[in-house]
Amino acid sequence: MEQVDEPRIGVFVCHCGHNIAGTIDVEQVARNAQYYPHVEYATDFMFMCSDSGQQLIKDMIHVNNLNRVVVASCSPRMHEPTFRRVVEEAGLNRYLFEQVNLREHCSWCHALEPEKATAKANDLVRMAAARAALLEPLEVKTVEVTPHTLVVGGGVTGLRAVVDIGSRGFKVTLVEKESELGGHLRYLSTMYPNNEKAEDVIDRMLIAARAIEDVELLTDSVVVDFDGHIGDFEVEIKNLKTSKTVKRTVGTVIVATGFEPFEPEGYYEYGNNPNIITLADYEKMKKNGSVLRISDGKPPKQVMFVGCVGSREEGNKGHEHCSRYCCTAMTKAASEIKDISDEVMVLYDDIRTFGRGHEEIHREARQKHVMFSKFAHTKKPKVCLKGDDIVVKWKDVLSETYCEFQPDLLILTTAMVPPPTTDEVSKMFSLTRSGDGFFNEEHIKLAPLTTHTAGIMIAGAAQAAKDATDSATQASGAAAKATSLMAQKNVEIESTVSWVDETLCSSCHTCVTACPFGAIGMLTTNDPPIAFVTEAKCKGCGTCAAACPSNAITMRHSTDEQIMTMVEAYLTPQTLKGGGEQ
Amino acid sequence: MTRKRFEPKIVAFTCNWCSYGGADLAGISRIQHPPNAKVIRLMCSGRVDPVMVIEAFKGGADGVMVTGCHPGDCHYATGNYRTQVRFDALQMAMKTMGLHPDRLKLLWASASEGQQWAEGITEMTESIRLLGPSPLKAGGAGK
Repeated sequence: MEQVDEPRIGVFVCHCGHNIAGTIDVEQVARNAQYYPHVEYATDFMFMCSDSGQQLIKDMIHVNNLNRVVVASCSPRMHEPTFRRVVEEAGLNRYLFEQVNLREHCSWCHALEPEKATAKANDLVRMAAARAALLEPLEVKTVEVTPHTLVVGGGVTGLRAVVDIGSRGFKVTLVEKESELGGHLRYLSTMYPNNEKAEDVIDRMLIAARAIEDVELLTDSVVVDFDGHIGDFEVEIKNLKTSKTVKRTVGTVIVATGFEPFEPEGYYEYGNNPNIITLADYEKMKKNGSVLRISDGKPPKQVMFVGCVGSREEGNKGHEHCSRYCCTAMTKAASEIKDISDEVMVLYDDIRTFGRGHEEIHREARQKHVMFSKFAHTKKPKVCLKGDDIVVKWKDVLSETYCEFQPDLLILTTAMVPPPTTDEVSKMFSLTRSGDGFFNEEHIKLAPLTTHTAGIMIAGAAQAAKDATDSATQASGAAAKATSLMAQKNVEIESTVSWVDETLCSSCHTCVTACPFGAIGMLTTNDPPIAFVTEAKCKGCGTCAAACPSNAITMRHSTDEQIMTMVEAYLTPQTLKGGGEQ
Repeated sequence: MTRKRFEPKIVAFTCNWCSYGGADLAGISRIQHPPNAKVIRLMCSGRVDPVMVIEAFKGGADGVMVTGCHPGDCHYATGNYRTQVRFDALQMAMKTMGLHPDRLKLLWASASEGQQWAEGITEMTESIRLLGPSPLKAGGAGK
């Protein structure tokens, strides 16, 4: 990019009330700043982010004909967007702004050493001014968003998203690998908290989905190829039965690939006696008619549940977190089966029926004389098999008593774990995974439904274990995210992308393998092929620029020169023009 | 009588998403730590070209830190794995440059780890203080 006019930098040092000025001598920092190369104007002000502070920046840009702005205030993670907007409103490109973090990184953490903090502030502002001099304007680019969403997974989450998107008038294609839609809800009898039949919930959503013209529901299908960037993804979908493939172009994607019930191998003698089953097995039986002992087909009389099987198991099989559905589901099942059996015992590590309407289920179970007993997290109950009998021994921690129970049906309330296809899905859509294997959101609080790949959302149990209520809520949220992108028609993409100087590219392919997002390809029309960057796919990490052995790649807004000038300004400061104190 | 304590100059190449956030949190939590490290904010620790580290030492840095997200937590999926590989290579080069390996440090800190950030900076500053000024510095170690 060509260099615009000679840099004319304005430096604005913020007091942040007492937050910065209480420790750092902001006036001295501003005075010194006047003498740094290319600095035309420097001042300090009470609150730079306030209306009057913002106006000051705009006014000084005009009065002093500034073309670069440095604000020394708080963390850029907080106010960079604010000040970028301010300089943009004053007619400067938003990338001609640089922020110095004098608050979080200086005054707050060196509060007991005001002199040293001031010296550091001087260093930081000098470094930022040096970088500002080398900043270049970047074009703000947009891409068109195809008004079509791909939803992967046809469970409660996927269906909810499909109905939400379809009813807002956007095209949506749902891909489900099974023959039937509905996911795990198809195997459930009734659902908490209002005892609604799970299949009714699915049916209602299916009726709603099928009533919408632009909804395409592809069962027995999987995504076999996926490429592109936000607004324009090319998807190839294969029908597993006919092996035929179809192609779709979509603007946004929602991944709702859900979970699978944990198979508790190695826990509580599971697999060694037919009457030791999981809660998922119990639900299937209940949905298909009646809950019976597997061994002899008779109704169980002594039923025992064990909670947290595979959940909260750090370092063991399953995962380390709470699965968030099981306490209530188990309590509900225990309450129900008490109606047809003599004794029901629930062994728990901890129990918390957390949602609205859940506590009532717990209360009802206790009223029905379902017995609850707490075991210690570090001392799990022991299951002994004596012939065909199951004997469970544990220590009730509340009464400090050793107990024994002989259930004729032992139901293990198992965790939700990521399905085996998760690895494939994560590679297909460039999603990262958390320690427990589920997909990572962009930010747990600030961006819980979007991912690091722009245009791709996650929802439901694909993100972490959760119940159908929470899954549907997330689905609606992800659908809103997708529709808002499509409604905008055009979305801004990163301008801070990398760029290949083709005259320097030596065709080594290093950058192609370095890029985590597959944004760099080789232009084979050239001989030898040269690297090129698909800007909409580039996220601006700069890994390619660091990897390139030929220095052919420039990471815009984070160029080698912009970085190294900060190092230089710190370690070997130029003589101040005209003096100054330090 | 008091001799001025040696204050090491430390360059910290810091990724925007995790470790910069960790440094912010250290400030927000008012966890006090030495002011010797100056943060240069990059989007990803994967942006750090080994040449930058070498240049920083040549320019007179007493210590260089590269800080990023924990492995597996990288905002850019795999950027920090590259960082690890480059760091390992740089560590081998340190001896060739005549520098103590402790002058170069890799710190993983998430945005929720203000304490780890502050401890990392403190440890780095103290260890460099013991090592003394970088021998590459103009004027040599005797200064």
